[in-house]
Amino acid sequence: MSDNKYIDRRNFIERSFRIGLGAAVAGTAGYTLLKLTRRSYVWQIDPFKCTQCGRCQTDCVLPVSAVKCVHAYDLCGYCDLCGGYFKPDANELSTAAENQLCPTQAIKRQFVEEPYYEYIIVEELCIGCGKCVKGCTSFGNGSLILQIRHDICVNCNECAIARVCPSDAISRIPVDEPYIIKGDFSFTNKS
Amino acid sequence: MNKGFKILLPSLAVIAALLAVIWLVGTDPTSDFVAGVPGEDRDADSESMVQRQVVKIGEFFESFTNRKNATTTENWPWFRGENHDNISVSKTPLIDNFSADGAPVLWQYKLGEGHAGAAIYNGLVYLLDYNEDERADMLHCYDLKTGEELWRRWYSVNIKRNHGMSRTIPAVTEDYILTIGPRCHVMCVERESGDFLWGLDVEAEYESEVPLWYTGQCPLIDEGEAIIAPGGTALMIGVDCKTGKINWSVPNPEGWKMSHASVLPYTFQGKRMFLYSAVGAVYAVSAEKEDRGTLLWAEKAWNHSVVAPSALGMPDGKIFLTAGYGAGSMMIQLEENNGKYSTTVLDEYKPRDGLACEQQTPLFFDNHLIGIAPKDAGNYRNQLLCVHPSDPKNIIWASGKETRFGLGPYMIADGKIFLLNDDGTLVIIEATTKEYRELSRYKFIEGHDAWAPLAIANGFMVLRDAETLMCIDLNKR
Repeated sequence: MSDNKYIDRRNFIERSFRIGLGAAVAGTAGYTLLKLTRRSYVWQIDPFKCTQCGRCQTDCVLPVSAVKCVHAYDLCGYCDLCGGYFKPDANELSTAAENQLCPTQAIKRQFVEEPYYEYIIVEELCIGCGKCVKGCTSFGNGSLILQIRHDICVNCNECAIARVCPSDAISRIPVDEPYIIKGDFSFTNKS
Repeated sequence: MNKGFKILLPSLAVIAALLAVIWLVGTDPTSDFVAGVPGEDRDADSESMVQRQVVKIGEFFESFTNRKNATTTENWPWFRGENHDNISVSKTPLIDNFSADGAPVLWQYKLGEGHAGAAIYNGLVYLLDYNEDERADMLHCYDLKTGEELWRRWYSVNIKRNHGMSRTIPAVTEDYILTIGPRCHVMCVERESGDFLWGLDVEAEYESEVPLWYTGQCPLIDEGEAIIAPGGTALMIGVDCKTGKINWSVPNPEGWKMSHASVLPYTFQGKRMFLYSAVGAVYAVSAEKEDRGTLLWAEKAWNHSVVAPSALGMPDGKIFLTAGYGAGSMMIQLEENNGKYSTTVLDEYKPRDGLACEQQTPLFFDNHLIGIAPKDAGNYRNQLLCVHPSDPKNIIWASGKETRFGLGPYMIADGKIFLLNDDGTLVIIEATTKEYRELSRYKFIEGHDAWAPLAIANGFMVLRDAETLMCIDLNKR
């Protein structure tokens, strides 16, 4: 006597494949759902709180800071006298090195048409010192801001810059909104 | 180990070390650096793209009424009012506090983006707007109380938006209206009729450099002469308002440039002079009949690339100079000896060390200076400050870190400071050198960049932001 139903090898293999396939589909769906719904976080600077103290340059664990200057072009006035490009009271408004505020010449200035000039950040040269951001904030529209670049940042558990930031401008934000751009006024987390 | 290896290995190591030293010493790590030199921002053909437009100053006119005058009588005839000090001479009592609705708004107009302020003469408001639809400098004449436009005169000139376009105030006398447009076009018209008298293209005639963000120099009329500081080939000129004839011209051998500041009359020990804070120096030209148009003195220690506030002369010969963009301030002492004038620098400091102003000229009130500190003034940034001229680094009172302002204008009328903030909020502050005492505030314009100087006559104040001109009734009832 036996209640055991006989399953031949072919049926056993077919059933095993079906169960395996179902589990794989369900697992993939679950994993995808988890990835889509779970909120990962990255470190970022709130430009509305940043005071350009200079610590982003010196306190990042990387040899060259992951913090870079970012240009919000829709805020820029395209001025001839750019407070982010020129030293205060520069001798003349020319590209001569002695007139430039950036210590690494990481901002390129290009004439567009009278009276406009475009300012482009060369990210490879930027060390995140924030001098240009301070100049632009003090004398211009504030279109230059500091941001942590996530292709460089190693996303430490405890950000070394956040630890020393005097204005608490660095916090974790959702990875699906990894930048806080000043010109983006649809952004709701403004301080 | 083989004896040969024992010699060979150390030898190779020494050779490798030597090669490393040679490489280290001989390699220039800066070999790929490129020197930053002037002109990297322009292509070779950039200059050829710039073409000067031929402008026919005062070309067009339109009248809307036969009426020539209005009913009110007080004046605010030019930049900083009748006495060039931004303090109203009117005895008209003004409100101390705004009601829940602020104050009655009598009329308002949409303007081209800019910061040009109004002048008021015999109940008529004169304003040089840049009309963006017509692409023209347009002089409007409005009734102060009703806002009715009486006439307009204009001329075509292409201006691109550059933090606004218009930014000057006409000078008005019984007979004349004098204007300077964004690209240094001077126009003189007959006051009542608006008839065109003459025009002068300062940029073309005097090889002047139009300042960054266009002309900010408000014209001056003195003894029937238009007083203009062109820079270029002339420091200052006097032009007959009736004919347009150049009566006198002061040479400019050192090439000082036109700034955003305006020429202000100043009297020191009975001597009248025209004071101007240029890019390159501050200087004064005699306004007296016997030597009118003669350069009296210049102080080259005051030299900054952007100067917007005008030089502020005080009765004891102290002259306060201030500018933004990191420049700070300087106090100089003017002295006279046998008809010769000389200056001494008393103090010079950065914005964080004392009173400095970026855009507006400070007030000289009750022997004190009052002005708004710029953004780079450290703890005092954007605060209204009061100092004594003997020590402008010692802040007597400040509006406080909770009460900061922008680049907007401020003036005194009926014992009160009226201050317009960037966002169109008008603030009433008690005019005192004792403390900052705010009386009331109200936001009249949902706007931005409200930087044009205020004008007031018969209790009616004309104010504006970047795009809206408005007249409000501040009369106390």
